Amino acid sequence: MVDSSMTDSAKVSPGAGPSYAGWIGKLSNSPIYAATIGLVANSRMARLVLLLAIPLVWIVTLHIGPIYQMARISVMDNYPPAPGGTVYTLDNYRLFFQEPLYFMPFLRSIVFAVCVTATTLVVVYPVAYYVAKVVKPENRTRALLLLLTPFWAGELIRTFSVIMFLANRGAVNVFLREIGFIDRPIIMLYNYFSLSFGVIYLISLFMLLPLYSAIEKIPTSLVDAAADLGAGPWARFRRVILPLSRDGIISGCSLVYLTSIGVFAAPLLLGGPNSTIFPEIIASLFHGSSDKWPEGAAFSILMLAVSLSTVGLFMRVVGGRTVKLM
Amino acid sequence: MRDFTQTRRSTLKMLAAGTGILAAPSIIRPAMAQSKVVNITTYDKFVPQSFIDQFQKDTGIEVRIRLTDDQGKQYNLLAAEGNAPSTDIVTVTGHRLSQFITSNLLAPLDTGRIGNWNKLAPAYAGAPQLTIDGKTYGVPLLAGFEGLVRNTDYTKASDSWEIMFDEQYKELTSYIVSDFLSITMRYQGTDGDYVTYEGKDAEALEATNKARDFLIKNKGQVRKYYDAGSEVQQMFVNEDIYVAQAWSGPAAKLIMDGHPIELSIPKEGTYGFLYSFNVVNNAPNAEAAYKFLDAMLSSPEIGAAMTRQSGFASAFAGVDTVLDEKERAAMTLPDEQLQRIQFFSSKNRKMKNDMIDKASAEVKAG
Repeated sequence: MVDSSMTDSAKVSPGAGPSYAGWIGKLSNSPIYAATIGLVANSRMARLVLLLAIPLVWIVTLHIGPIYQMARISVMDNYPPAPGGTVYTLDNYRLFFQEPLYFMPFLRSIVFAVCVTATTLVVVYPVAYYVAKVVKPENRTRALLLLLTPFWAGELIRTFSVIMFLANRGAVNVFLREIGFIDRPIIMLYNYFSLSFGVIYLISLFMLLPLYSAIEKIPTSLVDAAADLGAGPWARFRRVILPLSRDGIISGCSLVYLTSIGVFAAPLLLGGPNSTIFPEIIASLFHGSSDKWPEGAAFSILMLAVSLSTVGLFMRVVGGRTVKLM
Repeated sequence: MRDFTQTRRSTLKMLAAGTGILAAPSIIRPAMAQSKVVNITTYDKFVPQSFIDQFQKDTGIEVRIRLTDDQGKQYNLLAAEGNAPSTDIVTVTGHRLSQFITSNLLAPLDTGRIGNWNKLAPAYAGAPQLTIDGKTYGVPLLAGFEGLVRNTDYTKASDSWEIMFDEQYKELTSYIVSDFLSITMRYQGTDGDYVTYEGKDAEALEATNKARDFLIKNKGQVRKYYDAGSEVQQMFVNEDIYVAQAWSGPAAKLIMDGHPIELSIPKEGTYGFLYSFNVVNNAPNAEAAYKFLDAMLSSPEIGAAMTRQSGFASAFAGVDTVLDEKERAAMTLPDEQLQRIQFFSSKNRKMKNDMIDKASAEVKAG
């Protein structure tokens, strides 16, 4: 290809390869260029290595690496390692099964995550359907942006906004008192209600987007055809829309479940004395002053294993054989 | 063009490149450590912004603050960083020093490098809590205690921790579980600081379990367990709670801000603590750290600013004369009550930490 920055000799003999004037020419002829950009430009293998190295390093250092480190600490007897050397043991895992103290919050976390997932699905599905099917196509992006606006604020800010909403002197209680509906504040904060409300508010986006994406793809003609054949609204929903939005339901439920089973900041700020869930127990092991990192790491690995297994089972049960677990 | 075939050699080259990228920080970090910066791990509002701005302007040293709200968390973070700490100064209470020193996390303070050392209040200059084996390990900063805090609009006065278990205030109380376990032990007539339990594990465990069971039985009183001073402040402002166990600093701040709050020390007594700034072992910017400590001690106005922001009493000399009447009143208690403060000891910390941490988890999970 000939362009204006090329030298005259290059324009005359393009087959000899590009040769440029000025600083570009000097750069392209320099040994540093040849060793770096030139190597990538001229060598397919170098391009492949560069392409693979960046995501590989990312995945290893930020995803697999921390899990490996956690698993390694979970089988140590002390962390940081004691001067005499490290003893590897499974006692940290045995502790979970031996102490009923840890089992109840664990079970509570699973039940909480299941309930939050189911509630989020029920609450968000109609919203996703409305935006995907009822709102005119030219307004859908605007409607979606409107729903996404609260998520532009950080998670902690949104959690504090829930506190300001539900507190004894929060927006709800102040409003109800102003209109004379109540004399004393309704206790809405620091219990399962505020915890569930807050967590659903924080993670509903993870349900909304997959559902919206799945429902939007359902051809309207199928729904119209079902109506023409005599199917009522409930039948159309149950036999056409719901099955065709299954992928969205699976993705949304998986994301919401995995997020809510490990949620930590919201329970700390919104939960009460009777809503302690497992991540808080893990955190207390890491934050306590008696060096219980190996126990905390073991509990984290256990929770990771159980959450992934639960999600895998859910995907296989709901998704059927079409869903691959890996 | 050659087709790419995955070989052992190409894989090894890729892994070597990845290792190089991973190892880069340990090469870059020592070089960056020579830059003009000081990293401080401390509690919220301990270091006044006005002082930070002036210090940065005068010395050109950038001050970076990393917040903590718990001694245990601070210890764990420092222990995990090992010989390559990312902080230069930490904020350790006197009774926790031995734990940090045993783990080789703190460097003895060279008071000769702090020209303004003589500007500390006489009571704190040679504070025994900060001196171990003849070496000083911290610059005393702020003194506080765990007090009974109540909203005076909705509660009656009480000279006993019993008010925390009064049915009238069901779901209207709050406390830090680990702190309140010690206080409950004191309330029940046992040693919440574990000083007398050295070598008496069974007795200590019995006392701990008695307090734990009592708190679990009275769980219905609690609106929320909290960790940070700002949480209890927020709960009082929102009127989500009427009574709490809280550190004197956050409570005094509420009083200074004009909220209907009273801070007192009940007849069963309470525990006190002394915060200090400490230089960590292998601090990457030790020189800058000493300059910061020296500048901080230079004037009582800085101590007063720290008191105004945190609510805790300053360990610097002359701060009382700088505070106004309202500020002094917020932190002043009758002598009779002040006599009830027992400062946390550094003895038998491991037993205390182990038992209290376990009991705290049991109270929360119970």
